[in-house]
Amino acid sequence: MAKMDKKWVVLCSTAIAAVYASGYFSTEAQANKIALQQPASMAVASTGGNPTSTVLPNASQTNGGKHPSHVNQAHGTQTKTKSSTTVKAKKPQVKRIYKDGTFNGMGQNRRGSIAVAVTLKNDKITNVQISNFAMHYSESDVVGLPGEVVQKQNAQVTNVSGATYSTQAFADAVQTALNQAKNA
Amino acid sequence: MRKARLYMDTVVDIQVVDKNHSDEAEAKIDRAFEAFRKVEQACSRFDPDSELMKACRSIQKPVQISALLFEPLKFALEIAKLTDGEFDPAIGKTMEKQGFNRRYLTGDKMESPSAASATFRDILLDEQAGTVYFKKPLVMDLGAVAKGFAIDLAANELKDFDGFVINAGGDLFVRGFDRDGRPWKIGIQHPEKKDQIIDVIELSNQAICTSGSYERRNIHVPGMHHIINPKTGISPNDWVSSSVIAPFAMMADAFSTAAFLLGKEKGKKLIENLGLQGLFITSGLQKIKVGGF
Repeated sequence: MAKMDKKWVVLCSTAIAAVYASGYFSTEAQANKIALQQPASMAVASTGGNPTSTVLPNASQTNGGKHPSHVNQAHGTQTKTKSSTTVKAKKPQVKRIYKDGTFNGMGQNRRGSIAVAVTLKNDKITNVQISNFAMHYSESDVVGLPGEVVQKQNAQVTNVSGATYSTQAFADAVQTALNQAKNA
Repeated sequence: MRKARLYMDTVVDIQVVDKNHSDEAEAKIDRAFEAFRKVEQACSRFDPDSELMKACRSIQKPVQISALLFEPLKFALEIAKLTDGEFDPAIGKTMEKQGFNRRYLTGDKMESPSAASATFRDILLDEQAGTVYFKKPLVMDLGAVAKGFAIDLAANELKDFDGFVINAGGDLFVRGFDRDGRPWKIGIQHPEKKDQIIDVIELSNQAICTSGSYERRNIHVPGMHHIINPKTGISPNDWVSSSVIAPFAMMADAFSTAAFLLGKEKGKKLIENLGLQGLFITSGLQKIKVGGF
């Protein structure tokens, strides 16, 4: 094998460094994070966690194990929805197509059913979380594999590299979520 | 822990090996997803409000752009130089005309002004000032670098984890080992049989990206798909699939596309000369491996 051309490796690592050096990525993402998490942490402050602890590396320790962290998550989502309703209430004069908040939708793709949670704010889709999604390729699906690979124990290949597939299969699921979000 | 979201018209699936499902892991995965959102906001050709589209509306004057756009553009221009313009980020208008103009979440169609003769030589970067200068009206397309770059930034956000996979619609970066302590096993999509894979590799601390003609086809013109030679305006069809392994996803992403564009002789040679590993599949489903893939 030829020695790898280092020029491109250098270009890639300096590209990443440039983004962090500009402060654009890290600081703003951090700010978003804090803004989003603040109501959530206040809601669980009674469990003993420091209000800002959710963004610190050892947050899980201060929350003390699995159970409180689940509670934490559930509270977080509720408060988020509540806070977005308050924002909406402040500007009632704006006629929006969609309600703010997170709405669920279901659809089918070629590998089974899919569920999405679409988050809307000011009529813009801010996030599409895929809640139920499986891409399963079993070893029996493999065509023309050398014997030694087939014999390996691990039965499933869950990650596949391929030409970028489009999200058209998700369009139905996103649409059903949008229908629910529509203002009357 | 595993989470998936939609970005860049595909599914971004992040899997992290962590024994105790912690909030910390979840927060880090969310930050990794932020990388995709930010790069998409900066580099999308389908969003009139993206930094890329805003910049493209300013002709013959320097426009300040963020590193999130500057860096992947710089990388794309380097590859354009290397391939003498067979890979060209100025191809956006050609793509638009071929029907690759739909914004995936809304269905809105793009229609942008562009000079017919624009090439990468009409895009000038000023490293010191952080600006881009367009000599002519043109539409940039960073489809072969932006996703890779987002994967690399996301991987950096997850660097504290010993094992993770970032899978952005078939372009992947993997770190460390899977749940069973083995190198991650990655299938290569069969170009014709949707539910099958044509090969399997084991990978660790590397990226693998695949460019293929079998997913985003032009439904109106037979033989045309989303990879188009800027000089001829025609889709190359030497390969149906081109996979490249590299230490960075932006590299794997760009060179898998470049090798697809360059075709049988030159594409294979490119990957050999770079010292990368590649797997090419011909339309007759013959596998050609380079660099010990």
